[in-house]
Amino acid sequence: MMKTTLQVQDADTFYEQLLDAHEGLDADASALLNARLILLLANQVGNAAVLRECIAAAKDTPR
Amino acid sequence: MTESYQPTAFSNGYEFTQGTGYQLPEYPFVEPPEIRSGQPGHHPIVIVGGGITGLTLACSLARHGVAAVLLDEDNTVGVKGASSRGICYTQKSLEIFHRLGIYERIAAKGIQWSVGRTFAGDDEVYSFDLKEQAAYNLSTQPPFINIQQFYIEGYLVERIQELGHVQLRWNNRITAFAQDADGATLSVTTPAGDYQLRADHVIDATGSRTPFRQWVGASVTAKKGDDRWCIADVRFTKRPPTERHTWIEAPFNENRAVWQHLMGDDVWRIDYQMAPNADPDEVSREEVVRERLARQFGPDTGVDIVWVGPYAYRSECVDQMRHGRVFLMGDSAKVVSPFGARGGNTGIADADNLAWKLAAVVRGQASPAVLDSYHQERHEASTENVLVTNRTARFLRPVTPAEHLFRRAAIGLAKQHLFARQFVNTGRMAVANTYTRSSLCHATGGRSTQNAAFTWADGSTGVVNDLLQWAGGQLLLLVFGRLSRQDLQHLKALASAAPVRCVQVLGDGEHAQAREHVRDQNPRGTGHLRNACHVYGQTWALVRPDAYVAATGDHLDGSLVQAVARTLGAAATMENA
Repeated sequence: MMKTTLQVQDADTFYEQLLDAHEGLDADASALLNARLILLLANQVGNAAVLRECIAAAKDTPR
Repeated sequence: MTESYQPTAFSNGYEFTQGTGYQLPEYPFVEPPEIRSGQPGHHPIVIVGGGITGLTLACSLARHGVAAVLLDEDNTVGVKGASSRGICYTQKSLEIFHRLGIYERIAAKGIQWSVGRTFAGDDEVYSFDLKEQAAYNLSTQPPFINIQQFYIEGYLVERIQELGHVQLRWNNRITAFAQDADGATLSVTTPAGDYQLRADHVIDATGSRTPFRQWVGASVTAKKGDDRWCIADVRFTKRPPTERHTWIEAPFNENRAVWQHLMGDDVWRIDYQMAPNADPDEVSREEVVRERLARQFGPDTGVDIVWVGPYAYRSECVDQMRHGRVFLMGDSAKVVSPFGARGGNTGIADADNLAWKLAAVVRGQASPAVLDSYHQERHEASTENVLVTNRTARFLRPVTPAEHLFRRAAIGLAKQHLFARQFVNTGRMAVANTYTRSSLCHATGGRSTQNAAFTWADGSTGVVNDLLQWAGGQLLLLVFGRLSRQDLQHLKALASAAPVRCVQVLGDGEHAQAREHVRDQNPRGTGHLRNACHVYGQTWALVRPDAYVAATGDHLDGSLVQAVARTLGAAATMENA
């Protein structure tokens, strides 16, 4: 089951690290960084059902 | 589905072939007796198409001693004017060819390989050695052999001629087909005139341009693509290493993919990915091919071009592999991209699947209902193979910006981290597909065995195929471990009531109780037979003539009797009734 309550230990720090990582990158490099990050994080999650739910949730989120 | 895909310009390639080519055998045309008699001949089984699939079926029927007629439109093997098609044959196919009696010739002519290396740009992304993978370990056949397809076809022809039972009719082209309640009618044209054949069962092994799909009204599920490739089969004066090399992005091919494989006769297959809008005529011109080879191997390498063939692949599968009396198999049933060698190898598996069922039905040993399981089992396999090859094709020919982006991410990570190699998809090698929806197989079965070795009662070494040969087209029941007196009586009763041959498989220190027994031990280890049958503590395994386990079980009781009945189509008959 996809968790919808907060699991990230220090949300503000993680969010800041994410933004910092993209600092100074053009759109292409930024997109590539995100793609790598998705693959790395997916491997941490592992569970196929959770990954499927996460993809669906990301797709279904309104703009 | 992505809308930006272009319509496929499908090509089998031989219209544009260049190079010196291969020397192919030619077989004599013999005037069919029906032309002289003017009467349509009747044959229980007619196979249309003498490619690797049709010939495998013909050879398998011949081995079972079942009569059949095979019609082929030309007088040779290989594709007209070209002849180089499939190159990579899997362990399962090699095991089938071992059973048919041509494996030794394939092994002598072909190239064994197990090491593969994948590159992106100048970097190696990863390498593998299939010999280190447990999945290939039990068999007495290697993981793969590379050999030109026409060699195997030629060996099959000679083996069929040796075995008899099957008439090979060269230069016999089918022009029309109809079927009714009493049989099928095939119209055939030959250099000596036209004639008609009546048949009970017709096998369409004519390939990707099959006329049967239209004749029987077969619906097809297809996916469009625009990927184009160009093969160069070459001989070198300077030899590259004997390994499978794959470039996802080859600097010497405008950062497109390149495959490099050795086959028989020191011929290398170099397969280049082309631009999606490439002109097949232009990319296969000799000067253009030489320039491409020089970019890869250096200008000083001497190259003898044997064959050049540009191609585009389709991805499609018929929704029903059986239409009345017609069974579609090989490329007639489904066409996939070449990645992972899932074309020819699955055609061979289609043939091996149907052969024993036809033989059992013709001999009256099984209900005609077993023939329905051909679609159940092989359509599941076809669907799986289409899915797997589509995924590879999507990795190798990314279309949208997002597909390009994730490929770059995957390749970048794969160079650093083990887990990401699995995202780099240059082809998932063909396997013996598992059957989960078959009316013949119990939930405990549906998986292929491997051609594992054991010791016969006289101390010599045998393999699973020898046991199948001994069973002679009947089901093979392997019973593991100690047997009670009652067990022995059950087995005796079963063997006299049904086409089943039983053998006791002895483990370490166990004494023989049945007259027919083998010891599960070979020079490489113990328990290979048990493991090959996926038996981990169960008492028995029921093995079909195609080396698939139909069921396993714990007790020699009614469950075994049911399994035997189900495998012979009895359960399916009851369900249909």
